[in-house]
Amino acid sequence: MRIIFLPTEIFLSFSIQKILYDESSLKQTASHTTQASSDSEQSLISRAKNGDERAFTQLVRNYEQTVWGFAYKLCRNQEKAEESFQDTFINVYRKLNQFDGRSKFSTWLYSIVANNCLMNRRKRKIEELLESLDEAPDVHDETIQKQLASWDDSPIETVINGEMRTALDEAIQQLPDDYKAVFVLRDLEEKTAEETAKILQLTVPAVKSRLRRSRIFLRHKLHNYMKHE
Amino acid sequence: MKHSIKHLHSGSCADIYRHLCENLDSQFETEECKRIREHIEQCDTCSALLDSLKKTVYLYKQETVPAMPKTLEKKLFAVIKLKKKQKHSPGK
Ligand SMILES: [Zn+2]
Repeated sequence: MRIIFLPTEIFLSFSIQKILYDESSLKQTASHTTQASSDSEQSLISRAKNGDERAFTQLVRNYEQTVWGFAYKLCRNQEKAEESFQDTFINVYRKLNQFDGRSKFSTWLYSIVANNCLMNRRKRKIEELLESLDEAPDVHDETIQKQLASWDDSPIETVINGEMRTALDEAIQQLPDDYKAVFVLRDLEEKTAEETAKILQLTVPAVKSRLRRSRIFLRHKLHNYMKHE
Repeated sequence: MKHSIKHLHSGSCADIYRHLCENLDSQFETEECKRIREHIEQCDTCSALLDSLKKTVYLYKQETVPAMPKTLEKKLFAVIKLKKKQKHSPGK
């Protein structure tokens, strides 16, 4: 029984205008870290580049929560997230001189985390399956109807219990790494399609198609858990 | 909530589908988007699909990230100090 407390406006509204996220209210996670410091980011970076240890430490402190959160969401495993955290900042330390300031520092940082977490971009069977999701399902199909109805019937107040947590985990782990990264960056970290494209070195249309397929795929994988009341 | 899903306007559902799955979070301001919004408002299937996609994302957003281990930063700086001893200036 999956009981989650859901703000009613989210689920009760079938209007497309009522959006799951109000973009502006959701930027807290990434932005609160940087503004607190009185040092401007640019001066921190240039001082750190010149070997100023305190500037580097401050830079780490400004971004460690962001890096930790993103690494954990990508790796979905404590140990791997810790490894990725270490590797990311060691890379930053080593390669800071290569950061030319043409992109945002956070974009550069995200791309290092992503590169650390994602190694396998080879085309797999699952990707062929994902591509097949571009075709709209036949809405007259009874299974589709039942599936949709099961989501509709799911209680509005539910908790993510152990069973659901496992289901969420298993579903997202089946996504190829770059799909997973797109989903995490767009839907969980609330990056724009453009920034996600920069971070992952994909084109914007590639980001959009990966996001679309990931959402459908995950929805499909989770639907078994939406069945019973 | 809605238990029966009718197939209103199902002929155009297919071309709505992609936009729907892609634009969960957009404001649908263009002409085409208006058309899509109007369709969804009248089509139970598409609105149910949109709703289920929103729920999917919502569930993932509910997952919590454990707090960053307190020792992690310390470990990092220790490693970097070691690296620094190996070479004299960072990055060069
Ligand atoms: Zn429709």
